[in-house]
Amino acid sequence: MSVSTTPDREHDVISRHLRRPEAVILFWVANQMFAIAADAVQEIRSTDSLAGAANEIEHSELPKVRHILQRGRRTCYVVNAGMHFGLPITRPALVLILRQMRAAVLVDRIDRMTEIAAVYPLPHAFTGEERRWYRGLAYVDDSVIPVVQPAGFLTAQEFAQLDRAAGGGGSQREMQGAVQA
Amino acid sequence: MIAAETASQSSFVLLQIGARRFALPAVIVAELAPPVRLHTFPHTSPSVAGVIVRRRRIVPVYDAGPLLVGKSSSGQQFYLIARREFGDAGELGAILVSGECEMATGEMRPESDRRAYVAGMLTVGEESIDVLDLEALLASASTEARS
Repeated sequence: MSVSTTPDREHDVISRHLRRPEAVILFWVANQMFAIAADAVQEIRSTDSLAGAANEIEHSELPKVRHILQRGRRTCYVVNAGMHFGLPITRPALVLILRQMRAAVLVDRIDRMTEIAAVYPLPHAFTGEERRWYRGLAYVDDSVIPVVQPAGFLTAQEFAQLDRAAGGGGSQREMQGAVQA
Repeated sequence: MIAAETASQSSFVLLQIGARRFALPAVIVAELAPPVRLHTFPHTSPSVAGVIVRRRRIVPVYDAGPLLVGKSSSGQQFYLIARREFGDAGELGAILVSGECEMATGEMRPESDRRAYVAGMLTVGEESIDVLDLEALLASASTEARS
């Protein structure tokens, strides 16, 4: 066994890893930073600008989804990211409208768009819902942050629940968030 | 500390969690890491405290304190990094420990302990120390956290 008494130079260590650069958007929810692939996001809008375009779901069984957003012919369910991840309640200011999905995500703020060197697999030690939430982990600004899985915000079962509550009945393909806008 | 190559079944690493000392077989221990930054993010895995970055790897960190001593580990923490098996895949995992660790050699006595995560007992001087079964420990910690 080896014993170290000095901290690792984390950045140097990570930077030697196999690189597969990817453009991501860094965003914050309740003081936690996340990354999402830039090409998974179609639009970023302020919640104020969408006030007239969002309709409340009267009897949503999912506390994290309270509104529907109409974008052209596409209906998006608006997911509160803080509630989705079990974080403290905040007042989201922005909506990420996801590309090719029937979901949009409420977040507190955007940090910036950047390029990450690689997405590292989530360790096997993580066995819970995070395996669906995240594609993996990234190293940004000396921090390890989760890279979210866009399709992980709502399951097929949740889409079905929401469709029932909203009085709609999207196809199975739509339920899985795979429709084109 | 002694290099891993010289460790045998009768070599153990003594670690401190809270006010108690425990032992792990030295063969599964890779490294004692200093108190580097613990990175945290939302998850639902019981007993996982976060991750550290160590030698090109993102290493998950387990907090065994609640199960072993009844409270989460706190204060300045070191990380005892050990090898775990997940089917065909191996993975390093770190346990939060309260201070520097020691090596010890001796024969582990089988222990008819009701706690599944205690593999046996090691005597060091006049002290009797529980030898932990890491896989059973983390399984127990997960079960307890979910109950």
